[in-house]
Amino acid sequence: MRRMYKVVVPGDFISDKENRAGEGTYVEEGKVYALCYGIVEEREEIKVVALSGKYVPSKGDVVIGRIVEISYPYWIVDIASPYEARLHISECGGGAEKLDFGSMSRFLDVEDFIVAKVIQVNVLMRIDLALKEEFKRGSGGRLVEIPHTKVPRVIGRNGSMIKMLKEKCNCFIFIAKNGRILIRGREADMNLASMVILKIADEAHTSGLTDRVANFLDSFSRDDEEK
Amino acid sequence: MNEGKGEEVELIKDGKRLDGRGFEEFRPLKIEVGVLKRADGSCYLELGDNKVIAAVYGPREMHPRHAQDAKMAVVKYRYNMAPFSVDDRKRPGPDRRSVEISKVSREALDPVIIKEYYPKMAIEVYVEMLQSDAGTRTAGINAASVALADAGIPMTDLVSSIAVGKIGGEVVLDLNAVEDNYGEADMPIAMIARTNTITALQMDGRMTKDEFERGLKLAMGACQQIYALQRAALIERYSKSKEGEE
Amino acid sequence: MGLEIIGDLRKDYTCNLIRNGQRVEGRGFREYREIRVERDVIKRAEGSARVKIGDTEVLVGIKLDTGEPFADSPDTGVIITNAELVPLASPEFESGPPNEDSVQLARVVDRGIRGSEAIDLEKLCIEEGEKVWIVFIDIHVLDDDGNLVDAAALGAIASLMNIRIPNERYGLTGDDTLPMRETPVAVTMVEVEGKILVDPNFYEESAATSRLTVISNADGSLSGMQKSGCGGLKEAEIAEMVEIGIEKAGELRETYLPPL
Repeated sequence: MRRMYKVVVPGDFISDKENRAGEGTYVEEGKVYALCYGIVEEREEIKVVALSGKYVPSKGDVVIGRIVEISYPYWIVDIASPYEARLHISECGGGAEKLDFGSMSRFLDVEDFIVAKVIQVNVLMRIDLALKEEFKRGSGGRLVEIPHTKVPRVIGRNGSMIKMLKEKCNCFIFIAKNGRILIRGREADMNLASMVILKIADEAHTSGLTDRVANFLDSFSRDDEEK
Repeated sequence: MNEGKGEEVELIKDGKRLDGRGFEEFRPLKIEVGVLKRADGSCYLELGDNKVIAAVYGPREMHPRHAQDAKMAVVKYRYNMAPFSVDDRKRPGPDRRSVEISKVSREALDPVIIKEYYPKMAIEVYVEMLQSDAGTRTAGINAASVALADAGIPMTDLVSSIAVGKIGGEVVLDLNAVEDNYGEADMPIAMIARTNTITALQMDGRMTKDEFERGLKLAMGACQQIYALQRAALIERYSKSKEGEE
Repeated sequence: MGLEIIGDLRKDYTCNLIRNGQRVEGRGFREYREIRVERDVIKRAEGSARVKIGDTEVLVGIKLDTGEPFADSPDTGVIITNAELVPLASPEFESGPPNEDSVQLARVVDRGIRGSEAIDLEKLCIEEGEKVWIVFIDIHVLDDDGNLVDAAALGAIASLMNIRIPNERYGLTGDDTLPMRETPVAVTMVEVEGKILVDPNFYEESAATSRLTVISNADGSLSGMQKSGCGGLKEAEIAEMVEIGIEKAGELRETYLPPL
């Protein structure tokens, strides 16, 4: 089933159903209006999905972060947001809570990447993380960064796009909410996956994308076979 | 306003303005969205012979730190004219006129921005006049509005802007440089089209109360049309229908 | 930090009063605070005035100097208006180059004078294309309790109304006086809690999101307008403010700018 999505600008009237107003909208005198430049999504909630904008974390998001500073008992983490996050030594498991200042860098050092869950965002925008996994340098894999607004497109409806990517590129692919994507596989496969992901992000707003991507990937595997 | 009117210029001949426009016509408006790679949002706009480019950076960390607001973002606006944008080269750097225009423009856009979404951050708007032919601040506000939307900044509305003036005793829309120089009054406004709320208003020169009221109505009507053009430019940018999956 | 908290409480108190149709010290919504205008207070200036509106105090001094005219108007004098929000006037003012508030203040006052053509600039020509009088209007804010614009504008006109052209100091002959053709008066109003207030004090200014200054002449024509603040105004509100502005300007002009 093909559906047409509507592009809206701030202030556009969307609906009278004020009780269903969701993210990206505001209500004034019983009417729902668009709060940002984006695409209207009307399911149970009426939402406007922004086409651009910076990533601001919410509780529960899983993100890929990069350690930028050690400030006992926290690591300060860059999460591709205007706001920095912090990871407390007690939120890492594996005995990390016993670390002291000197030994923190042996557990996680500046420039290391981590996968973490956002456990708290308070009113002053203090963001607390809990570690899920760390990726030490040299453990293989590649990190690709796309605008966080394109993440849903790379995942696809019901995960269809990412499923296809994993299969056809033969890679492990993990997409974090903040637009950072971890890819693991053979060099050539990772190159292909990176290229395709960047292409999807560039053309996220166009139609027929899934088919185009599928064809593109097929043409690569055909080349492989012919060798 | 020209102080020493050594030579009077006839600004209205046979009921038409020197560039052939009617009294209620604004100059041709061209809007392009997302023209800069590095900025978070951008817009290139032409209003007659005015050429302006607006860029938005943000939200991003606010400096200086002591000026941060713990509860909301701070909006900054810098209007600047390129040295080659005017007949007599303008020395680089802010002058008093640019400082005032920056303040008035920022106050025109601030009311629609939901600053509470980004505590402690700065939302920075940079407007550069590349070529100037009067009405530059209105062109700047129109471009800035579109650039803010392009950057994904949450806003209740777009803001639209135009000037009215008085030339040869007549109230007319959107003065060009000659009309501004030899005319009797110039009144730029900015407005939220959806609610007819005015967020900027300045008047320079001399007008009767009646002329002012007529001019205001004329400008407000033009802002509605400009809003439609801003909106169209943004929608057209993603005009290929985004069709659903499966 | 302490001052900020107190400030907020006063702002709330002010808003509460307004919601109940009142203002501090029982002032009416259309009423100005007590105004005092003293002319010729600075001997060394060619014109001067000290204006107090309530606790707001502004000193305006006029200095004249000779100089070259602008190329595009060789037979007219020049007006240069400047405002200084000196640090002693408010805990919020810092020393340094003019900030956007002082620039706006100067330019709005200047706009009113220029738009009304109050000064016949051709009378300031000494030698066409070579030498003209430059009139420096310097606004020195001494105490900011709100509504600097009206005080500064009133001070500027009061100072200009009897400037002495210092011909002898420059070895020139000519008229010593410069009669004004118009007396533009600025009236500033704010909108708080849906009500229009004339002559806002400091807390009313902080509480307001929009401020409108209307500058008008004796014949009811307008020669300047400036909306400031991060709010919006409806057409009807603006129309009402313009009416009030013209009316109050007439009252101020009659009382504080009588012809000498």
